[in-house]
Amino acid sequence: MQQDIHNYLERYFLANDSPILENSNGFLHVQLSIALDKLLMNRPFYWHYLEKTGGIPNPMQISFITDQQKCGENRKGEHIHFGSPRLHQIFQSTQQLGAYIRLFEEIPSSENKMSTALHPWLCLNVKISYQCDRMKDIFISLGLNLIAGEVKQNFHQLLLQKTLSPKIPDYCFTLSPLITLKSGFNRLETIIRKIIADDNHQWALDAYCRWQNDLRLLETFYEELEEKPESYYLEVAALQEQYEPKITVKIINGGIFYLLAS
Amino acid sequence: MNIKIDFNSSWKEGLLKKWEDDGPWSSWELYKLALEAENKRMIHEFFGLVAPTYLPNLHIFPHQLEVAKKVIEDMNGKAILADEVGLGKTIEAGLILKEYMIRGLVKKALILVPASLVSQWALELSQKFYIPAVPQRKTYVWEQCDVVVASIDTAKRNPHREIVLKQAYDLIIIDEAHKLKNKKTKNYEFIQSLKKKFCLLLTATPVQNKLEEIFNLVSLLKPGHLGDEESFDINFRSTTRSPKNEEKLKELVNKVMVRNRREDTGIEWTKRIVKTITIPFTTEEQELYDAITGLKDEALNEKEAIIKSHFSLITLQREVCSSREAAFSTLKNMTEKLACTPQLIEKFQLIFKKIEQVKTNSKAEKALELIQTINDKVIIFTEYRATQLYLQWFLNQHGISSVPFRGGFKRGKKDWMKQLFRDRAQVLIATEAGGEGINLQFCHHIINYDLPWNPMRIEQRIGRIHRLGQEKDVHIYNFATENTIEQHILTLLYDKIQLFERVVGELDDILSKLELTNIEEHISDILANSQSEGEIKVKMNHLSELIKLTEGVPERNAAGHS
Repeated sequence: MQQDIHNYLERYFLANDSPILENSNGFLHVQLSIALDKLLMNRPFYWHYLEKTGGIPNPMQISFITDQQKCGENRKGEHIHFGSPRLHQIFQSTQQLGAYIRLFEEIPSSENKMSTALHPWLCLNVKISYQCDRMKDIFISLGLNLIAGEVKQNFHQLLLQKTLSPKIPDYCFTLSPLITLKSGFNRLETIIRKIIADDNHQWALDAYCRWQNDLRLLETFYEELEEKPESYYLEVAALQEQYEPKITVKIINGGIFYLLAS
Repeated sequence: MNIKIDFNSSWKEGLLKKWEDDGPWSSWELYKLALEAENKRMIHEFFGLVAPTYLPNLHIFPHQLEVAKKVIEDMNGKAILADEVGLGKTIEAGLILKEYMIRGLVKKALILVPASLVSQWALELSQKFYIPAVPQRKTYVWEQCDVVVASIDTAKRNPHREIVLKQAYDLIIIDEAHKLKNKKTKNYEFIQSLKKKFCLLLTATPVQNKLEEIFNLVSLLKPGHLGDEESFDINFRSTTRSPKNEEKLKELVNKVMVRNRREDTGIEWTKRIVKTITIPFTTEEQELYDAITGLKDEALNEKEAIIKSHFSLITLQREVCSSREAAFSTLKNMTEKLACTPQLIEKFQLIFKKIEQVKTNSKAEKALELIQTINDKVIIFTEYRATQLYLQWFLNQHGISSVPFRGGFKRGKKDWMKQLFRDRAQVLIATEAGGEGINLQFCHHIINYDLPWNPMRIEQRIGRIHRLGQEKDVHIYNFATENTIEQHILTLLYDKIQLFERVVGELDDILSKLELTNIEEHISDILANSQSEGEIKVKMNHLSELIKLTEGVPERNAAGHS
């Protein structure tokens, strides 16, 4: 667990142009980039002042301890673990930093001397949350071929097996989408709704029962009163808040991938 | 079943814009990191607790985990947490709050606690649970902060009241909730009008006296769970105190209440080592004590009695046992109130003279000696402020630093005194159990300089240091002066019911079964209305037999065991 976090942080800072000054067992010392300092260190006044006066920016360095036992008692730094506010903040920041993407499938140029077409795919990584007085999340990753209309599930898994590049490789050209992004997105939305509709929703039925149960009790409590007091209506509304089944769909990230025809 | 789906489409707009502007796009690595972060935080099951994985540094006891799970899964987030004192109700409440927050089911939470505990709660939530709880000190906090800790007395008063009632809270936690047992009070009505989705009521003494108290408490949480008032009466009431259909009531109450006892938790508690120290008076002290006791007989003979009631005599006797200073202030008040005939003045002068003649305080000397041998942090509890002041001066004369502590101190001052005690002073001198909830586990010596007559107060005193987190054995020293009323009390509490060795909570149980909630009055009554020492002894024996008898009864009270 702590090693996972250590590796994650390492990748995170490298991906954000923040050099790692020291990387030893259980310990990380990082020079933040200007962008990351602004994002993580919560000192808007400093940056505002600097921009006004034109001074030389001096982004901060931070030390993290991911495992005190491994790095020794003398190391000082922020203890970081799953659930710590800093890690939460870093996780949160990636939503902004890694939301939209466009990549091309890489083909070793030695093998490819002829011009090759790359097909546009729209990918959505989606978190579906079922919520009543309890909740759970479901993850789905979908890809839609914007030429043929083909849909693939577990699309992200598929992408992980490919070599991808932000630049179009030599001898390759991209096909223009026949399906616009907008209608492509709508198609995927329809599919997501279908996946939800086909799922088992016993959880919602159970919540509904709990809700009705509590409502019945509430009714008996105020039964004798002709005119119900304010507290009755408050409680009715609160029960709805508590139990009413809801589903939210959130796009985590996604984008356009130009891939070889399989 | 038709379920509302909220499809967030703001992402789509962003994508179309990037497409149009041809970027800028994220890097593949950041894109993957974002997805991994989200996957790590996803919750894959409706059931089970994820909070513990977020709190690797918190030591959670199995019974606390179980409570949190039960409240969320079986009680749908509305529950009375009624563990015995010292089992960590705060941790349980924190766990539940954390779980709901991680799952996104609670965003806005209000925690109402006694004023003296506001900062402690806020501190514990942020340090142990990484929940950014804000102690309410400014009015804007109600609206702008998500998790607020406040005292109910502040919250219910305007201008706060109006703002608080407008907020829709996802979770409300109320500490010391047994104070809400009367539905006619402002506090009850206030809590009832709060908008709340989930609600936790914390109390160590859920069923103290009357049936309607449990009815009111449950109805605050879940109106109708015990029926309405009328049906409750018909179904469960035979007399005010003893219910009928007890099993059925118990079952219903247990659906909304969890109660762990120490013995259920399987935790090994550190020991309580009790030492009783009887202290002989000096001749002068004894003379003063006798002179005051003598007032009782004179009162029987003369019309102009100094002591109007037996109770004030007992008070004086108890005070003399503590310090001459404590008795002096009471006597002085008396002289001011009485019409001063020459005979009366003469009598008072005699007593004041005896007070003057007392040059040493035997108890204080003993305390000093003890503190010097202990050579560690010590808490001294006394019933009287005059004694408290005197002790502080006395210890200071002998180079021992001490800090005072009173129930009446403001929140900030209590925190400050606690900190001073921890970091600087050797001794804390407290007149009150310091209100509920102040935790002093870093100390493991208590001197009961004089004994309260209400055993529950002793429980509270000991409970300040003998609780979860205390790693050492706890030493309790009980002081009693020889040949005084203190000795009667000590014999009763110590020898007969072995109060001090009892684990926390046991007595609570026994007293509620006995319906002897006001044991203090009971004891005063015995002492005041007995004509002889012999009579006192017989009656005290009777009381202790009664308590012991109840102890043997295995059955728990109505809303007992879960």
